[in-house]
Amino acid sequence: MKTLHTISKTPTSNLLTSCLEAIAEDDGVLFLEDGVYYIWKDIKDLIYTEQYECYALKEDLLARGIEITSRKGVNLVDYPAFVDLCEKYEKIINWF
Amino acid sequence: MNYQLTNFTFLARTAPYGTNRCNLLMDIALASSVFEQKSNYVFMDDAIYQLLRNQNADHIQTKTFGKAIEALKLYGINNIYVLEKSLTERSVSLDELVLNPEIINQQQLQELVRNSQNVISL
Repeated sequence: MKTLHTISKTPTSNLLTSCLEAIAEDDGVLFLEDGVYYIWKDIKDLIYTEQYECYALKEDLLARGIEITSRKGVNLVDYPAFVDLCEKYEKIINWF
Repeated sequence: MNYQLTNFTFLARTAPYGTNRCNLLMDIALASSVFEQKSNYVFMDDAIYQLLRNQNADHIQTKTFGKAIEALKLYGINNIYVLEKSLTERSVSLDELVLNPEIINQQQLQELVRNSQNVISL
């Protein structure tokens, strides 16, 4: 089943590492809440963005003062687009 | 560097918005300053993110923490520090932060903590 993985804590949590252990090829990753700090600058090598569809919630980036231009490989989504993602993927796994 | 004996050292360790720990710690600090306690405020680990410029929490219907935190100085808490390691780990530079904090290393942090009567970490 095509799955959307959501990550909602800062990189200190190492949630992405756990997520990448369990993710399948055509899955997607959505960064939201404190998870958006994962895409603060290119803090870690964003190699996974080439393998999986990656999304970040725009409102959470703006709230936290994270620059939202030129984020390679990460699609910015607003709340309506978040709803569309929930439809597009057959199930959701929340990493928190 | 020789740090004076202080009543309180506050260690902020968490990112804003995800939890209310940063608000709680600031509330305690502001309350302590009303009683004229001498305090240090240290931002380390994910608390670095509390100080980012250009926060605008209107987008998530809450108060912008990067503005609220400036109250520390109004309340006379002027010893504001950031831990160097936490900055470099997150690729954050000083000019991206509000409050103009002083950068300290691990040894200086240890000294602050040792010379403080009370240490509150949230």
